[in-house]
Amino acid sequence: MAGITLAVPSKGRLEELTREWFADNGLTITRPGGARSYLGAIEGLPDVTVRFFPASEIARELIRGTIDFGVTGRDLIHETSESGPASVVFAKPLGFGSADVVVAVPDAWIDVTHMHDLADVASDFRSRHGRWLRIATKYITITRQHFAKAGIAEYRIVESLGATEAAPASGVADIIVDITTTGSTLTANALRVLEDGTLLQSEACLLVSRTAAWTPERRALLDVVLTRLDAAIDL
Amino acid sequence: MTAAAAQRRTALEDLVEAQGATRATPPLLLPADPYFDLAGEEFGRRLLLTTATTGAEYCLRPDFTLPIVKAYIEDGVGEPAAFSYLGPIFRQRETGPAEFDQAGIELLAQPDGDVALDQVLTFARAALDLFGVSPTIHLGGVGLFESLLAQADMPAPWRSRIRQRFGHTEALDRLLTRLESAPELPRAEQPSREAMVDDITEQMVAAGLSLSEGRTPTEIADRYLEQQALDAAQIPPATLKLLRDYLAISGPALQSLTRIETLARAARIDLAPRLKSIRHHLDNLGEASVSFDANFSPRLDYYTGIVFEMTGPRGEILASGGQYDRLLERLGAVAPIAASGCSVWVDRLEAEAA
Repeated sequence: MAGITLAVPSKGRLEELTREWFADNGLTITRPGGARSYLGAIEGLPDVTVRFFPASEIARELIRGTIDFGVTGRDLIHETSESGPASVVFAKPLGFGSADVVVAVPDAWIDVTHMHDLADVASDFRSRHGRWLRIATKYITITRQHFAKAGIAEYRIVESLGATEAAPASGVADIIVDITTTGSTLTANALRVLEDGTLLQSEACLLVSRTAAWTPERRALLDVVLTRLDAAIDL
Repeated sequence: MTAAAAQRRTALEDLVEAQGATRATPPLLLPADPYFDLAGEEFGRRLLLTTATTGAEYCLRPDFTLPIVKAYIEDGVGEPAAFSYLGPIFRQRETGPAEFDQAGIELLAQPDGDVALDQVLTFARAALDLFGVSPTIHLGGVGLFESLLAQADMPAPWRSRIRQRFGHTEALDRLLTRLESAPELPRAEQPSREAMVDDITEQMVAAGLSLSEGRTPTEIADRYLEQQALDAAQIPPATLKLLRDYLAISGPALQSLTRIETLARAARIDLAPRLKSIRHHLDNLGEASVSFDANFSPRLDYYTGIVFEMTGPRGEILASGGQYDRLLERLGAVAPIAASGCSVWVDRLEAEAA
């Protein structure tokens, strides 16, 4: 394989902002087939193939090394696999898509303001209620890692793929771990972020796969593109 | 497998068979839920999971202890029983294949916990011996720490908070640091409990939260008030220093135990029965290099008495186990039942021997 593959989010604001960012840096990403086509190019760089993927798949494929570099959220790299951050190089933050992965509890839990309060509540939750403290989230890996670090082991995760903020009210879970930009959705659902409850600060990043099959030629090609984008890396 | 490796394997088989125990062969495919229930998400992330068409989650056998103990409980507990095992288990690991062999024994409802632990330790050492490893043995005292905590001078609610962090060095250190730096604040006057419960109830109803399914308004108010009271009712500095000094004790077992004795005597705390039991096991371990680490404990709250790890020249854990009298209760038994056992990491032993 002589060329290299760039993965770009396939739809929505993230696609727009990514293409704008490349354009600002003098590289025009084309998508000849429009929104229904998943193959594109960069004008003037025929050896770079552009593929349009959902952001979570970009994270997965970068970690696996089936695409060489791409744009996706930092949160997705951490979430996709425990070894995710070690499998990629964060070449450049792009300055958009900022959001925090946070732990939020019901406002009414006035006794719980910090993670150490949560540790206390979790530790005797089962003896009080006959079940584990339940956490609704789509961020299973991130939650497990950070809760382990905080010394909290007594909980169960309920996977939630959408409208996570509704989980406490619907009785699916007691608290949530979710992504938020302004916090207004949480507030509207009477949820409050713990004072030390920010698990990860995420934003859109340009990432290079460490696990891709890098030959000197492909590496040289990558460096040409990265230089144009004012990014440099050590693989 | 080389001829020498095959010979070691046969010898290990023989040792497992020679324990006077029932050879346990639990299924390879097990329901995943009991593991999550027992060990939580931290262990759960190591499981190799698969889902049935019904949506039920299964995992490849990640250990022998849980299926052995569950089957024992289902058969109707009470009679002393002994089980031994050798076979593959499956766990996600950073290095090495996810499938690897473990050998071990489980001694349940034995009349004398010390005798049972002796057999466990003897088995582990014999297994390591087959592979030519003379290990460093690390002992820890869960029961010893619980006994210290029960007698140390402090407001009662702090005991469970400290116990819950035992074995997680950073979390326990953070808690002690917080307690040490707690300011002597005059407490603001608290609203009455009744007013608080009303207030919380109102908030929960407005947020659409069930008042009974999860934490209740009284539970929240009580913990809030308890927290306020605790912030005011501080742990005496002398107790915090005792805990710090105790947890820092680590090193050759006899020296460690002597230091603990001195510490306990000065604090007028009686740890004699626990210390005596640890010394008894030390005598039986004879010449081996044994250290006692006061802060060493698995992060699972069903461990109760003495716990141990045996490491090889490369520092890898080759055998681990101990006493876990709360395990059977956690798995559904109606009363605590003595239990001790250990597991031996066969692939690591083979790597040491080869």
